[in-house]
Amino acid sequence: MSDTVQASPDAAAQNTLVPVTVLTGFLGAGKTTLLNHILTAQHGRKYAVVVNEFGELGVDNDLVVDADEEVFEMNNGCICCTVRGDLIRILGNLMKRRAKFDGIIVETTGLADPAPVAQTFFVDEDVRGKTRLDAVVTVVDAYNVIQTLDESPEAVNQIAFADVIILNKTDLVDEVALATIESRIRAINAVARLHRAQRGDVPLSDVLDQGGFDLQRALEHAPHFLEDTSHSHEADVTSLSYEVEEPLDAAKFQAWIGAVLQEQGADILRAKGILNYAGEDQRFAFQAVHMMADGGFIGPWKAGEPRVSRLVFIGRNLNRPQLRRGFESCRAK
Amino acid sequence: MSDTVNDTMPATGLLERRGAMRQMEGQITGCAISRDSQQVAFATGEGDIMVADRADWGQSDAWNAMTVHDGAILALAPDAAPTGFLTGGDDNALRRVAADGGVSDLAKGRRWIEHITTWSNGKGGVIAFASGKQVELRDADGHTTLKVLEHPSTVSGIVFDAKGKRIAASHYNGASMWFVQARVDTVRPLEWKGSHIGIAIHPAGEALVTSMQESELHGWRLSDGHNMRMSGYPSKVQSMAFTRNGKWLVTSGADTIVMWPFFGGGPMGKPPAEAGGLPGVMCTRVACHPVHDIVAAGFADGSVLMADTSAQRILPVCVGGSGAVTALEFSPDGCCLAFGSEDGRACVVDLSAK
Repeated sequence: MSDTVQASPDAAAQNTLVPVTVLTGFLGAGKTTLLNHILTAQHGRKYAVVVNEFGELGVDNDLVVDADEEVFEMNNGCICCTVRGDLIRILGNLMKRRAKFDGIIVETTGLADPAPVAQTFFVDEDVRGKTRLDAVVTVVDAYNVIQTLDESPEAVNQIAFADVIILNKTDLVDEVALATIESRIRAINAVARLHRAQRGDVPLSDVLDQGGFDLQRALEHAPHFLEDTSHSHEADVTSLSYEVEEPLDAAKFQAWIGAVLQEQGADILRAKGILNYAGEDQRFAFQAVHMMADGGFIGPWKAGEPRVSRLVFIGRNLNRPQLRRGFESCRAK
Repeated sequence: MSDTVNDTMPATGLLERRGAMRQMEGQITGCAISRDSQQVAFATGEGDIMVADRADWGQSDAWNAMTVHDGAILALAPDAAPTGFLTGGDDNALRRVAADGGVSDLAKGRRWIEHITTWSNGKGGVIAFASGKQVELRDADGHTTLKVLEHPSTVSGIVFDAKGKRIAASHYNGASMWFVQARVDTVRPLEWKGSHIGIAIHPAGEALVTSMQESELHGWRLSDGHNMRMSGYPSKVQSMAFTRNGKWLVTSGADTIVMWPFFGGGPMGKPPAEAGGLPGVMCTRVACHPVHDIVAAGFADGSVLMADTSAQRILPVCVGGSGAVTALEFSPDGCCLAFGSEDGRACVVDLSAK
């Protein structure tokens, strides 16, 4: 778990895994609208949907499963390792008719912490063997988001966990307000892809088949936060990003990140990285949710692409210089 | 592991010599044999049932396939009657498949019907099925509800004791035990923190055992509630069964057949025995013979073998080359071994003397 970075199935096997999209967002943000949009769009693909507010879904779909969000704590030494046991069961049963759908969408309740859903994909061997977490998509209501973020730690967590953020109802606020909202969101999660929408009308290519997480692409969109060193210790949820140009020693990195997650996993909501290991031609993708981590090689570096290791932490109470020193100490000698 | 299948064994097994196979569409999600041991049934993820009559066990083209559910069949059990089967699906329906192939509706709920178990002593019987957090008990005809038992979270497994007096259900943070005939339902809670994902009961009612998400087993000695812990598995235990005399609890979850001793003070403080296996290949299903000291085991590569619990002899039934074994059962008279796989192979092996 935290002390051993488990190897994911290799790139070829990843392609046979069923992609799972997790849809989060506060009540009224437009989750159900987006879900209906996904299910009615003419994309020629079929999705199984796991929902928790049965009957709200406006379209017929014989692959809708009603779930109760049953969370339990794992007895595995990780203090914050909560898991959706119902999801393990439901995904397992859905896989019995694997041929009937192309992907799975899991909708969470408005107040849900995304951590147990995400951790489910790290913890269970059967879930890992058959499915992959494609992306956590968080729908945000532009009109209410600032107030919601001030009042609710769950909303902050939902933004922090997102790979994709849909800023919905942008027609209800002006451009100045949108800029303020986006910078507030970016302060929490600098690497998620952010899309504006009205009534959930986003292109599906922005939501589905995100293929996990492309850190390089994300960083292109948010270069400014890399240089921001004005705070060394943030009580609020924030993103920290680091780069090391020299190749890393794989064993040193695993030992260091294992210790970091063990000690600070409760505060680290997510960690992601693309790593350049010494003596390896392939990029190593690393990701973690609280104390749970995994990683695997994801194919060679592109021609002309700088071979730079990048690592992002999203969390609370993170010590910027200490994490930087730690990451830099993983350089191969 | 000197007792594993090795190259002195014939390359083929019992299936080739005394069995038959039929390829079905979709995953085999379960198999069951009727109480009179005259019919074998297989269920699939496509909602189909295939029934093999005893006279046709060797001729798979005579087996009768039909669609019973709209969606995957998640549960399959022999009916409480001597003949026929019960099925539960992700279409939230409980149905009966009679010996003549007739299908009838017994229940339709709001949740998947994920577990069915039946009990009979030849005179009377009880049907139990789990749907969400509820376990419903019905009389043997299947139309009269005896009671509905509520649980704190979704039920992951149900089991009757050998006498049909009690039923136990596994769920989060332990298991619940109920008296089938009680006028007022009072639960006996058996508590242990965590997610319990399967259940088995000792044939003499001495212990209740659950499988846990953390790849270990938990048990309660029913006389005094004493906790038992059985750990060391490399993966989750999806399948477990007590031998007929209750001496051993046989389980999947490792690359050998794992057997915990329930005698001489065990399983507390005793290591499990291993009854053979396949190096590096996980055991996925186990079944215990109803008459002899023999266990059967199915593996992740499609292999099936039988082992003698006392003499440690191994008999290959079929060797690899296929998807994981997902269903495995002996018939009540011990004359038949049926199994199915993730890639849709349905197999019947006739074990009767010829």
